[in-house]
Amino acid sequence: MGSWGFIGLAYGVAAVAILTFFVLLRRRLRGAAEELAALERDGGRRTP
Amino acid sequence: MSAVGEVLRRTWAMTRKDVTVELRARERVNAMLFFAALVLFIFNFALGPDREKLREVAPGLLWLAFLFTGILGLGRSFQAERENDCFEELLLTPGDRESIYFGKLAGNVLFMVMAEALILPLFGILYNLDIWAQLPGLALVALLGTVGFSTIGTLLAAMTAHLRAREVMLPLLLFPLTVPVILGSVRATEAILSGSGLGEVGHWLKLLAGFDIIFLVVCPLAFEFVLEE
Amino acid sequence: MERVARIAPSIGAAAAVILAVGLYLGLVAAPPDAVMGELQRIMYLHVPSIVTAYLAFTVVFCASMLYLWKRDLRFDAVAVSSAEIGVVFTGITLATGSIWGKPTWGVWWTWDARLTLTAILFTIYVGYLMLRAFAEDPRAAARYGAVLAIIGFLDIPLNHFAVYWWRTLHQPSSLLRAGGPSVARAMLVPLLVNMLGLMLLYAYFLVRRVQLERVRHRILEGRLRRGRRG
Repeated sequence: MGSWGFIGLAYGVAAVAILTFFVLLRRRLRGAAEELAALERDGGRRTP
Repeated sequence: MSAVGEVLRRTWAMTRKDVTVELRARERVNAMLFFAALVLFIFNFALGPDREKLREVAPGLLWLAFLFTGILGLGRSFQAERENDCFEELLLTPGDRESIYFGKLAGNVLFMVMAEALILPLFGILYNLDIWAQLPGLALVALLGTVGFSTIGTLLAAMTAHLRAREVMLPLLLFPLTVPVILGSVRATEAILSGSGLGEVGHWLKLLAGFDIIFLVVCPLAFEFVLEE
Repeated sequence: MERVARIAPSIGAAAAVILAVGLYLGLVAAPPDAVMGELQRIMYLHVPSIVTAYLAFTVVFCASMLYLWKRDLRFDAVAVSSAEIGVVFTGITLATGSIWGKPTWGVWWTWDARLTLTAILFTIYVGYLMLRAFAEDPRAAARYGAVLAIIGFLDIPLNHFAVYWWRTLHQPSSLLRAGGPSVARAMLVPLLVNMLGLMLLYAYFLVRRVQLERVRHRILEGRLRRGRRG
């Protein structure tokens, strides 16, 4: 694997790491927002 | 009584309590010694009979024995409090948290040094190394390293005492943080055992001393926050 | 918080633009190094990455101290968020350092000072995140985390001394310092541009991650309130 292969690998790994973190973060945010909304909707009712 | 006198008195009370409890049951020290002896034996089998190779890695092996034994002791230093739910009582004790920390620290250092005092001659015998000629230097390094390891170790032991998976968390957190102690102690021991000049040893001793001083100041302050609630 | 959350997309966009520029500069415009050749280009990612990680961990340190002082959970939110992002960037530093090392030294890993220190840094803050995960309740997690973060941060310079002395005393000859002591101006620009880009990316991630933490706080509060009422 020539120099450019390693360069591509390095930048690729970094890109994957950053994108994965970004996607997971958005997913976590969406999940939490939904959970909060559900909680506020159920506000006042007893826990099952 | 002066404020410092009060702190010393309370610290001594804590240490004395821990040592008394331990001397009666002797659980901790026995476990530590047995484990250390085991480690020394197994290293020999793992590394083979090459005398020269063993001599090269001897300082590292010695400190591995010290550190694994130390971790075992640290892991149990708050066990009594945890098992008997005494943490609340610790908090109710009048006086500052620092005395509790220093008392625990003194106990931990004491036990670790006791174990080291027995491991070192055994090590000398098993690996055919003359430790007696260099005993003062080795003792100094051992003390500095033990104190450094125990400062953060005691703090983390209190923190991990009531955590899930605490046996894993303590080494996981402690070893990366004590790399300066490990490196300094092993290199200094190596230099002393091979009779290198004082220059190289002084280098590492300063690092160890600096580490000790910094965390002897920071850890008791941090301990306050660990014992809350 | 809402004000900050609103400018988050602009921070993200700015980061993307600057990183695109930095990518071009690093991969195309910059000249190859006299010694390292094209492999030098990995440094335009590796160095900014570790610098951003250090920035992140400094923020963790400051936020932790502020939390212990003010007991405002918002500071704790910043601490844990910054630590998570710091771990990601440290991981990238490790990976890029290792990938640079393979063609340079022939091995995927060596215990040279830089890689060793980065590995230690990584384990310290992964430990921080694990400690928080295992603590019983959020306030204990915040407190223990803050203490560990402070100890860890103070430990870093000591680690530096120890590891550098260890390596230089035993390998006096092979001190391959990437970029050399004086970095040529043509190489400085892509380095700085990528540094700015990654720092902006960090800022964007930080805002979003703190947002997430704040939502989690409100969920916990809501559950507590419901429990009391029910």
